[in-house]
Amino acid sequence: MTRWRSNGQPGRTSRLIRRMARRYDLYLMLLLPMVWYLVFHYGPLYGLQIAFKNFNLARGIVGSDWAGFEHFLRFFNSYYFWRLLRNTLTINLLSLLVAFPIPILLALLINEIRNKAFSKWLQNITYIPHFISIVVVVGILTVMLSTKGPVNMLVQALGGSETRFLESAGWFKTVFIGSNIWQNMGWQSIIYIAALSGINLQLYEAAKMDGASRLRRIWHVSLPGITPIIVILLILDVGQFMNIGFEKILLLQNNLNLESSDVISTFVYTTGILKGEYSYTAAIGLFNSVINLVLLLIVNGFARRTSETSLW
Amino acid sequence: MRKPWRRNAVWTMVILGLVVSGCSPGAAGGKEANSAAPAAAAATVSKTGYPIVEEPIKLKMFTRIAPVNGPFKDMPVFQDYGALSNIEVDFIETPTDGFQEKKNLLFASNELPDALFRSSLTPLETIRYGTAGQLIPLENLIDDYAPNFKKLLDEYPEIRSGITTPEGHIYALPAVVTLGAARTDKKWINQSWLEKLNLEEPQTTEELYNVLVAFRDQDPNGNGEADEIPMTARASAGSGQGIPVVNMMSGSFGLDQQLGYNINLIDNQVEIWMGSERNKELLVYLNKLYNEKLLDPEVFSHTEAEYLAKQASGKTGFFFDQTNNPFLDIADQYTGIAPPEGPHGDRLQSQGAPVARDFGAFAITSVNKYPEATLRWIDYFYSVEGSTLLRFGREGEHYELKDGIPYYKEEFLKSGNQAKITPYAGGGAPHLISDQVASYINPPQVQEAQEKLDPHMPKVRYAAPMFDEQTAQRVNILRNDIDKYYEEQSTKFIAGAQSFDKWDEFQATLKKMNIDELQQIYQDAYDKMEK
Repeated sequence: MTRWRSNGQPGRTSRLIRRMARRYDLYLMLLLPMVWYLVFHYGPLYGLQIAFKNFNLARGIVGSDWAGFEHFLRFFNSYYFWRLLRNTLTINLLSLLVAFPIPILLALLINEIRNKAFSKWLQNITYIPHFISIVVVVGILTVMLSTKGPVNMLVQALGGSETRFLESAGWFKTVFIGSNIWQNMGWQSIIYIAALSGINLQLYEAAKMDGASRLRRIWHVSLPGITPIIVILLILDVGQFMNIGFEKILLLQNNLNLESSDVISTFVYTTGILKGEYSYTAAIGLFNSVINLVLLLIVNGFARRTSETSLW
Repeated sequence: MRKPWRRNAVWTMVILGLVVSGCSPGAAGGKEANSAAPAAAAATVSKTGYPIVEEPIKLKMFTRIAPVNGPFKDMPVFQDYGALSNIEVDFIETPTDGFQEKKNLLFASNELPDALFRSSLTPLETIRYGTAGQLIPLENLIDDYAPNFKKLLDEYPEIRSGITTPEGHIYALPAVVTLGAARTDKKWINQSWLEKLNLEEPQTTEELYNVLVAFRDQDPNGNGEADEIPMTARASAGSGQGIPVVNMMSGSFGLDQQLGYNINLIDNQVEIWMGSERNKELLVYLNKLYNEKLLDPEVFSHTEAEYLAKQASGKTGFFFDQTNNPFLDIADQYTGIAPPEGPHGDRLQSQGAPVARDFGAFAITSVNKYPEATLRWIDYFYSVEGSTLLRFGREGEHYELKDGIPYYKEEFLKSGNQAKITPYAGGGAPHLISDQVASYINPPQVQEAQEKLDPHMPKVRYAAPMFDEQTAQRVNILRNDIDKYYEEQSTKFIAGAQSFDKWDEFQATLKKMNIDELQQIYQDAYDKMEK
């Protein structure tokens, strides 16, 4: 990986310009995404100031009065602050710990299957759920997990007692993360499978010659081969850390599981969009993003130090 | 520098890109609200008679469409009234699900229609958007351009106090319900089950409990299966709206609902009762019903459609609804009962709406070029004639008059299109509901059910007070936390997800959320009202 050297020699900029001029066609192609970023990602940053103002519709963003950190303080002092933070962090942390390794395992498994037809079939079966809309997934969950649903019937047949999976705080995280795994593992494994197919077959043969067992070959050839991809995907996942699963959490939420399902993003929706408190929720959203940025920096730094792969 | 033109081209493109993105509407955040322009068009609006305007005009209105409604443009009321008034209305229809979200985004993005029809604006929203200049004040226009509505204001002074802000502005018109039976949910009990099991109508909460146990255990529908739902109720309509089953039963425990909130009025003192011992008793009672499967286990989670289907299924023993319309086919099995008497002798019909039932049902925005004509347009629906057109459609085709009162024609009801042709079905439409236009929602059975409730109604039912903008904002901040907490914890107490050992903690947390400050704000508002 290249690092910018700050003490670049004179003439460096003009050389850069010359290089750009030579490959102007490539830079023209870059222009469109850059404009897109500016318009949709940097432009709206201008509106962030309402987090520090009492946003008044009539006076607009610039004309509203400054409120300083009032909205932030209101959030930090809110009864729900610690609960929101705790739930947001634990749901995502558990997702990362439990759900992240599973597509990798699935990819390794599919890669080891010698029967092509079977491996294709398995791959298709596991990634089809990805295409089901979240509303439908929640509908399926509601039916499957209701007190008279198949899961409860099975539990009772095995001697367990009736469990309200969707209406208890204790089960929420399991249901949420479990169904996420079911829905996304196939889809997420595709990238790993592609990376695995890029590993030089001679490495496997050499390992075989040295007498390495299957597990040994996975451990010493396959895994190191896809480690850069794993790290990059991990960092990208952390980039979404504080936002994932908003719609699904909202749809699964009810008063009985709110204790463990109330997260920052749904709180922003219910107080901001539904009750029109724009400044307050802009402040919460900003706080959310700051936490996310810190997490991203930590993971990236950690990755850079330990595995030589990182985003920057 | 072999090809300088190329380099220049690249830089031109980059700079152009920057400039274009900088100027794009996406980056240009807030816009100034358009100032109200009471146009010169006023001159051509006739104050009486029809058409309202000589030259046809077009208005854009934002509206909510309920699942039972058909497209608004096909409703006879808007077709016929459009021809009569010379005002053509183009409705922007938004489904009930997600309506609240769309409505707020409309104001936030300042892309306003000419008016909002059936908009369920909250008092805070009207004050917020009114002071921001997005809604125009109507109080001065009402005298000249809304004779029917004005008549109602004079007849029922409580309407005016319920919709006027402390600054004296009226930003939105409510639905006016002079028919008492349209302001309460009746307590429907399965009469045929009672008869079959040789039971009397329950008079106390204890008797109600026994009746529900019998419904559960003695297979009143005689199919050999325990598929009866002894008692059910609506699930909550959303945060801040309370828990319906609590609201329906609170009167038996001496808990009234005044000022549009969980408030008891005793000797001019406002008491928010959420943390009171009486409320604990109510929740303990409901918890007992829930634990013993007397109260529908899905009472917090079923959808509105599922709840209505349960009513129509005939498998429910006891539930709450305004009319008998959802279970019309089996209506003769049911009868309305009085509120059961609670352990302390309370027998109050606490649930109920004020005369101005649906607040914020209609509002005119600042972009409207014809506010006078628009107000006259809506005013028609506050007359019996206009309300008849809105609710019943065309005489001869949809309804016929018997003793001067419109009734839907049998053939039309059989077609199953009743709710499709009228915007009242689904609730919240701005119009007058009086006994003259209520033959369908107020048949004799519903009247009898209402008569059972009448002796137990509070003497005065105060509507939610209007606060000034600052107070409204404070109430909003307080209630955001308190209502969310109250609803979540109450649900948990009832469902047994939390034991009553936590009651002290519940009370303490309410205190910490400044429930006393909220009580004081309501007290001040009440005092102002009484003066």
